[in-house]
Amino acid sequence: MSQSTPPLDATSLIKDYGPGGETVHAVNAVTSTPLLDARDLIKDYVLGGETVHAVNGVTLAINRGEFVAIMGASGSGKSTFMNMIGCLDVPTAGRLLIDGIDIATLDSDALAEIRNRKIGFVFQQFNLLNRTTALDNVAVPLIYRGASSAERRAAAQAKLEDMGLGNRLDHTPAKLSGGQQQRVAIARALVTEPLVLLADEPTGALDSQTSEDIMGIFQKLNDDGITIIVVTHEAEIAEYAARRIVFRDGKVIEDASVTNRRAVAR
Amino acid sequence: MIAATISSWLINIAIAFTALRTNLMRSMLTTLGVLIGVFAVILAVAIGQGAKASIIDSISSLGSNMAIIVPIPDTGENGPRRSSDRGRLSERDALAIARQIPGVVDIAPQLRQSVQIVSAGRNAATSATGITPGYPKVTNLNVDTGRLISEADVRSAARVVTLGPDVAKKLFGAGSPIGQQVRMNKVPFTVIGILEPKGDGPGGNLDDIALIPITTMRQRFAMTAGQGPDDLQVLYVGFDSADSLTTGRKQIIELMQDRYRVPKGEFNPFTVRTTEEFMETAGTITGILQALLVGIASISLLVGGIGIMNIMLVSVTERTREIGLRMALGARRRDIRNQFLVEAAVLCVIGGAIGLTLAAIAAYYLEPVVEFPVPIGAGTSIFAIVFSATIGLLFGGYPAVRASRLSPIEALRSE
Repeated sequence: MSQSTPPLDATSLIKDYGPGGETVHAVNAVTSTPLLDARDLIKDYVLGGETVHAVNGVTLAINRGEFVAIMGASGSGKSTFMNMIGCLDVPTAGRLLIDGIDIATLDSDALAEIRNRKIGFVFQQFNLLNRTTALDNVAVPLIYRGASSAERRAAAQAKLEDMGLGNRLDHTPAKLSGGQQQRVAIARALVTEPLVLLADEPTGALDSQTSEDIMGIFQKLNDDGITIIVVTHEAEIAEYAARRIVFRDGKVIEDASVTNRRAVAR
Repeated sequence: MIAATISSWLINIAIAFTALRTNLMRSMLTTLGVLIGVFAVILAVAIGQGAKASIIDSISSLGSNMAIIVPIPDTGENGPRRSSDRGRLSERDALAIARQIPGVVDIAPQLRQSVQIVSAGRNAATSATGITPGYPKVTNLNVDTGRLISEADVRSAARVVTLGPDVAKKLFGAGSPIGQQVRMNKVPFTVIGILEPKGDGPGGNLDDIALIPITTMRQRFAMTAGQGPDDLQVLYVGFDSADSLTTGRKQIIELMQDRYRVPKGEFNPFTVRTTEEFMETAGTITGILQALLVGIASISLLVGGIGIMNIMLVSVTERTREIGLRMALGARRRDIRNQFLVEAAVLCVIGGAIGLTLAAIAAYYLEPVVEFPVPIGAGTSIFAIVFSATIGLLFGGYPAVRASRLSPIEALRSE
């Protein structure tokens, strides 16, 4: 079955990472290579001597430009799946191709590089560094690709301005509202120009109005071509997505287009 | 590439300062441990170096390329010294050495005795040394004013004395003593010269002596019982080079063994030492002293280092979530490791710099007390900084590696 995908080779890595560190993913349209391609994906944990199949045979593909909501109760395996597609964890068995690269073949440095170049993370608790300004928080991912101080500042400032925080550059997280903090976190996720934004319960710590604002930002980013994957347990939040995947007991039990899709007025 | 590397280190230093500021009290206390350690080590090194330089300096003030012979049985380094062994050394031996050993430039036979020296109501205790004109030549002594003991003084057993500057000052203050009368153990002498200041030598203060002709010494002062008419207490032999001193030393021993018919396997009734040997011995002793000091000081540095490791482990535990976040944002293991290594190194270098400064201040106040220079130069300073950075990398290494080995997902999940 591996024959059905284009041959995997290291050049796909090298092609995407120019020598100067710039990301050259010129192809942003939907191509024949799915952005994410999971085949019989299994992730086991051993807890108290018992093996738990957190993800138990998931096969699905997500293409470039999609807006996907991953739903499920806690313990359904959605977070474990999310961690694997975020290259934070590796599968026990099965194959997971991200942008055509089998992540099982990668060492920790290469995984870190994928996280840095292809994936932007947004977390429930924002995960900003305290005592660090919005600008410096957004610039953190660029540190790990060796960007110069001027490059980091310029890119971080541009993304914060995109998020409407151009007048909050020097504010520390403590001086920002929850919605502002999450927008800083989104700017940080976007500063590396990733292929996909992975948001884990991005509205879990926000009120409903702010949640709607954040989902509106995601929809706009999706319109601009970036792939969005949101993990949530709230049905309402999932309705902002175009496709809904539901997990239960480590398996996908539903995978369908969202029929009554919500759209934020903008 | 290099610019990017430098830039990433600068970022790590900035991150380190932010983290250290966050826990300012804790950072300061941790730094204190390293500070005390570096302070102690640097001061110990400086004291050791100063002591060594000072001792070497005082030995070389004796004169270089010199052999010293004393009539004390040579029982080796640690051998027993039997009271029945009487030493032997006479003026005839001295002459034989002067004539028969190649490379000998001068000889300086000596007799010494402690005396009370009195002049116009003032008195002082000093060491009267009976010499020949060879003595100032071998020991590089010169007069400040007046003259030294001459051949004629020795031949006539003249009651003349050349005083060391310290004695002269005690007896005459600022006035000129030349031509003045002094009494040594009630024997009157005329002062003919004052020596140049020379400082401490191995035999004591070289400025606190009274040089008189050796013949006068024999005639006027009752020497210790058991000594023959031409016995000597000390004989200095000056050589023309270090090489001839080395071979000359052996030849002196052979000559003396021959003269006293020392049976094989018996102790020599005399001891020959060279300035080189004194230097070596002094070097060994000060080396041991220094090793001891540095060893003790190192323990405090070790304790400081353990403090660093302890605090870094705490810091890693506290910031597990931050580590997970940085990994999620693309930090590789080495990025995390370097971040914590730099943090430990920054702590240590700050401690090292303050410790070095305090050591320099302490050295400044210590110098007049120990009466030798306590040098803290550029070399020591660089050593201190590099050394403390190394401590940081050494003791910060384990916590840093531990941080870098965290699983990104578990680190992110931690509270």
